[in-house]
Amino acid sequence: MAYTPQVIDHLVRPRNAGEISEPDGVGESGHAACGDVARFTVNISDNVIREVRYKVYGCAACIAAGSALAELANDQTLLNAARISRSDLEDALGGPLPAGKEHALTLVLDAMHKSFEDYWTSHAEALLSGSFEEASAESGKSVVAAMSGGVDSAVTALLLKDAGYDVVAVTFRLHDGEKGSRSCCSPDTVLFARDTAHRMGLPHFTLNLKELFNQRVMQDFVGSYAAGQTPNPCVACNAHVKFHAAAFLADRLGFRHVATGHYARVAEGPSLARPEDSTKDQTYVLWPVPQELLGRTVFPLGEYEKTEVRRIAEDRGLAVAYTPESQDICFIPDGDYRGFVRKNVVPEPGEILDKDGSVLGRHAGVVDFTVGQRRGIGISAPTPLYVTEVRPQSGQVVVGRKKDLEVREVRVGGLNWFLDPSEASSVQVRYNGAPTPCRIEEDGDAWIAHLEDPAVGVAPGQSAVFYTADGDRVVGGGVVERQGS
Amino acid sequence: MTNSVYLDNAATTPLDPRVLEAMLPHLGHRGNPSSLHTAGAAAHEAIEEARESVAALIGATPEEVVFTGGGTEADNLAVLGLSRAVGEKRHVVVSAVEHAAVREASRNLESSGYEVDVLGVDETGLLDPEELAAALRPDTALAAVVWANNEVGAVQPVAELAETCAGKGVPFHTDAVQAAGRLQIDVAGVAASTVALSSHKLYGPQGVGALYVRDGVALEPIVFGGGQERGLRSGTQNVAGIVGFGAAARLAQAELEERSRHEKELRDALISGATAIPGVRLNGHPEIRLPNNVHLSVEGVEAEGLVLFCDAQGYAIGSGSACASGGHKASPVLLAMGQGEREAFSAVRITVGKENTQQEIEGFLHTFKGAVEQLRQLSPLYAN
Repeated sequence: MAYTPQVIDHLVRPRNAGEISEPDGVGESGHAACGDVARFTVNISDNVIREVRYKVYGCAACIAAGSALAELANDQTLLNAARISRSDLEDALGGPLPAGKEHALTLVLDAMHKSFEDYWTSHAEALLSGSFEEASAESGKSVVAAMSGGVDSAVTALLLKDAGYDVVAVTFRLHDGEKGSRSCCSPDTVLFARDTAHRMGLPHFTLNLKELFNQRVMQDFVGSYAAGQTPNPCVACNAHVKFHAAAFLADRLGFRHVATGHYARVAEGPSLARPEDSTKDQTYVLWPVPQELLGRTVFPLGEYEKTEVRRIAEDRGLAVAYTPESQDICFIPDGDYRGFVRKNVVPEPGEILDKDGSVLGRHAGVVDFTVGQRRGIGISAPTPLYVTEVRPQSGQVVVGRKKDLEVREVRVGGLNWFLDPSEASSVQVRYNGAPTPCRIEEDGDAWIAHLEDPAVGVAPGQSAVFYTADGDRVVGGGVVERQGS
Repeated sequence: MTNSVYLDNAATTPLDPRVLEAMLPHLGHRGNPSSLHTAGAAAHEAIEEARESVAALIGATPEEVVFTGGGTEADNLAVLGLSRAVGEKRHVVVSAVEHAAVREASRNLESSGYEVDVLGVDETGLLDPEELAAALRPDTALAAVVWANNEVGAVQPVAELAETCAGKGVPFHTDAVQAAGRLQIDVAGVAASTVALSSHKLYGPQGVGALYVRDGVALEPIVFGGGQERGLRSGTQNVAGIVGFGAAARLAQAELEERSRHEKELRDALISGATAIPGVRLNGHPEIRLPNNVHLSVEGVEAEGLVLFCDAQGYAIGSGSACASGGHKASPVLLAMGQGEREAFSAVRITVGKENTQQEIEGFLHTFKGAVEQLRQLSPLYAN
């Protein structure tokens, strides 16, 4: 193993070594328990890096890479610094590092990127406290594209770049995930998404939204279950986190648009319309995106079939970290959401009743039940039993036959309208369900949907999304409320 | 670096010009030592003379010396050859501070069904002879303990260890690659079955070693062919190399005391100068160590940067273990001495030789101190 003269030079004459005493951002990467550690401090104003300092504990490659990166980033615009890739760094070090030392590049890049992340966090108080309001958006063909590490978001960024946009990729740190797990937003996935963006020549940022995501999505998820509802965390994320965060970054950078890899379209209004690939339609989870944000949103994948997206990724050599199955909940990668809820609330045992109020048995906690559920009720009966109602207050679970699940009226609250409510002619109440024709009527804060045909298993907490008569556009959406509430 | 100061003599020693001179006539060779003609006989005579010199260095008879292609091969021949020569016994005992040549050979035995016991050491790297005695069993095919460790320089009580094994009829191998030429080695006083030696650690050429095989000890070869070296190491001998080894052994024997005294002086100056730097600690035993070995842990700094930094300033030293420095793997020797991974990665080895001077040591200490300070300023883990 031999190092290039450039590596030795950076080792012996380090550039920008040290630490800024009151920095705008601090980032550390690596593990102090064993192995290498890099720490970057930066001062940033007007989106330009005014000063950058680094410290590294580790092998010579890490020390030299820290010095080389600090030299490349110093006095650069934030966008140019965020674009510096492993291969740029390798060039600055005079060529590839010896085998087994390549991690040095990732280590120092990650530390610098974390210092940017820290800088954004300290300027994102309004966003993180949930009171974000957009600034006046700039004009121009510029876009902040959310990138999770998966194939859809990678192709999204690529299509935008091809279409002539100035693209900045952003990955959201939403939860701690599990190291090595292939769920989106886990620490490894951030590294992967960054590398993917850099390979396309795009600047990449990471925003730490863990606190916001925990409050608005994870706690909401647990609370909903405890309240006998069936929450949809993707809806909560789209309502409060993802689009707001992308818009925050766009505003800070003076960018006009935001983009995600959702399969949907933005139609005039602005309103939300179904995508080309009806099998991947995600309009059902996008209804809560505020109209102002939708107005600056681009969904490039709305024009493509999933199979085409995969082919584009293959043809253009995009490696992708994971292939999300849309029904997975990203912060519960093992799929055991009951277990997740049980870790966060203490379940209390209660009664299982039939619709007439007769006690049929007992259960270990209402968190284990959701409307429409058939398995795990624990009572044998001649015909299959379904959960028809969950009453968290009294701790009661009501069961009945399949017919008892049928409803002809759905009460929907928390509405977000894109079009005039009078245009609503059908309603979809499950992610993979078909819309049911309906007539709607206002009822106080909520709306009642009178269904033409009875629907089965309409669970409080799930989304109800209204579509136009041609079935193509979303009129608006809301959350199914408990009957009689 | 033209005027570099070489302080990595445990990795290899510079070739002594007097050794080179002895080798030169044989580099333009004509004769194969196995041939009947005059040229062959001359080559044969040259290696037999070298055999006498190597034997004399360790108090052996020439018939007990088998030339090999280096120290590693000598260790392999001993570990594999001894264990395969004792029939059905399938138990092997080695220390935790063996050179990789013995460690990996014993792993090879393990993978072919042997049970391998690894004996621990104390925090200075020394083995407890009673532990060895307790580990020996009726089915023990072989025990191997390094004479002096190549990393921290710990000198093991080999005479006692060999005696213990001899008393129980267990073949005992010792790797004396680092010890030969620096410590007095006499196989009359150490009842080892086999002793491994290497030429390039005592100012001879690289690529030549020898295994001392005590008269009467059963050993299976691991290289097969024309039956050279009494059938224990087939293949035409490396005549020039062996001649060089012989010359180096003669010089080592004649100059042993003087070299050892000189190296010890430099070593002790290095130890006291380096450990005066805060957070720099000596590894291994303060006295029971090779006369030329200094092994340091430097708090808050990883060894690789330190080695390369010193190199850029003209001083060649070794990181924790020269063999382990290719990959990011903590030295098993330091881990066996109870160190953590981080400590193990912060270790450097400085090994002096007969050509080094006090002035060089002073210059090195100055550079070393500066390197430690600069790298610590870079380190987020060291509070200045």
